[in-house]
Amino acid sequence: MSTKALGALETELGGRAPDGLDALDAQGLRALTVLLHDAKARQSEALDAAVEQSLEFVPRVMRGSVRKILFG
Amino acid sequence: MATLLNADVEILKLARLVGAEPKDLAYLRHLDAQDVRDLREQVTVVMFDADRKMLQRVASAARLIPTKLAAVVGERAFGPLLCARLTGLLEPSRAVEVAGKLPTPFLTDLAAELDPRRASRVVAEIPPEQIADITKLLAEREQYVVMGGFVGHLSEAALRAAIAVVDDETLLRTAYVIESKGSIGALVATLQAERLESIIATAAQAGLWIEALDVLGHVSERQRGQLGDIAAGQPDAVLDGMVRTATKELLWDDVLPVTRAMSDDSRARFAALKSIHTRPVLASIVDAASRHGLWPELLQLLPLLPAAARRQVAALGTGFGRPVLEQIVRAAHERSLWGPLMQFATELEDRTQVLIAKLVAAIGDDVLDGMLDAVWELRLEPELARLAAQLPKAQLKAFSERLLAQGGEEFVVALRESAEEHELAALGAALEKT
Repeated sequence: MSTKALGALETELGGRAPDGLDALDAQGLRALTVLLHDAKARQSEALDAAVEQSLEFVPRVMRGSVRKILFG
Repeated sequence: MATLLNADVEILKLARLVGAEPKDLAYLRHLDAQDVRDLREQVTVVMFDADRKMLQRVASAARLIPTKLAAVVGERAFGPLLCARLTGLLEPSRAVEVAGKLPTPFLTDLAAELDPRRASRVVAEIPPEQIADITKLLAEREQYVVMGGFVGHLSEAALRAAIAVVDDETLLRTAYVIESKGSIGALVATLQAERLESIIATAAQAGLWIEALDVLGHVSERQRGQLGDIAAGQPDAVLDGMVRTATKELLWDDVLPVTRAMSDDSRARFAALKSIHTRPVLASIVDAASRHGLWPELLQLLPLLPAAARRQVAALGTGFGRPVLEQIVRAAHERSLWGPLMQFATELEDRTQVLIAKLVAAIGDDVLDGMLDAVWELRLEPELARLAAQLPKAQLKAFSERLLAQGGEEFVVALRESAEEHELAALGAALEKT
């Protein structure tokens, strides 16, 4: 187990990783960290794109109010 | 084996959550299933909370637009994954209304991405017909893990509707991966006896005994007995498959409690199965009893086994040490199984008999009373005599005194006769002297 690699994973997890993950080597911990980081990034990108696209479906008359709620 | 399979299920769920293939997480297979599950729980929180602020705003904005438009935007702009993240943030009644406007294939995709625990109220309010339609499609796609996540969150009517549209194999595979195993009892409770029979037959035909035995491990004692009785009514070939699986996959700890819960007739029929009389199977049963403290269950079965099989079990018991024998004696006391213990003890080799005799001689007066009642009721004086005769001289004398004091005259006369009949002179003398 690598303390540094475990630390990076715990940063992505936002908390302490389950104890059993001590059994993973640095490579496994890094792979898991990358997987989680990428999944979060993909989700955020998809959400931003969806929010933009969603405005196209909203009737012009309501668009201002909706935009205000979405973007403040 | 079951632990390894559950680790695979957890990996599958985790992979779905992060949009990966299970093979990308193969390095987690070496971990304990519980650790992978804990990791998955953490990742669920991370993924659902990652964009919470923006998702919350979207949920607020959704209130401003008509239901039909919300459905169109959900389907065309957000897609199933983001809609799944949003579902738990919407007002449940609003979410149900929107779901009512969405096509079944889309809802099926959404269901695959949803964590039902985060949208439990929404899931519970979806009409049964719609749940049935989604379930049908999930079953076609063999999405057992997804379906398993929803059991426990559906209304009873929706659960019944879902069960009605899936075949037995799907039901078994889903039950095996149910997220909250405590809900299996509720699922089984909705099934009629004919369906349960059909499921057991399917377990045999489709080679799904691992799944079926797992179910048996998570139902109530009454249901376990009911299922055990139904299983015992099946032909030998069906039960032989179960015996093979339980032995190969080390699952006798799931089966023995079923033999405990089933009726006397079913237990006798089960014990008469030729396939369990072989040494490897009996060894696996004894091993499960030893590892999981299932001695009462084994003691219940022993008198029902043919003599040759009992001798095999006795031979396997040769290596039992004092702690294990203490457990067995305690089980005999707590579950009133002195009869089977006495009969079994006298089939063991001498050294183990001595150990049991010493344990029995050392039991408290209350426990001894219970044992003497059982011996008298079942006419097991010969067995008790043979066991007592194994005691060293001083202990034999002390035990004989206790037997005289607590057993009553009639009992001691019968015991003395047994000693004489079996030429157990030392015991006979000890009983005379006292």
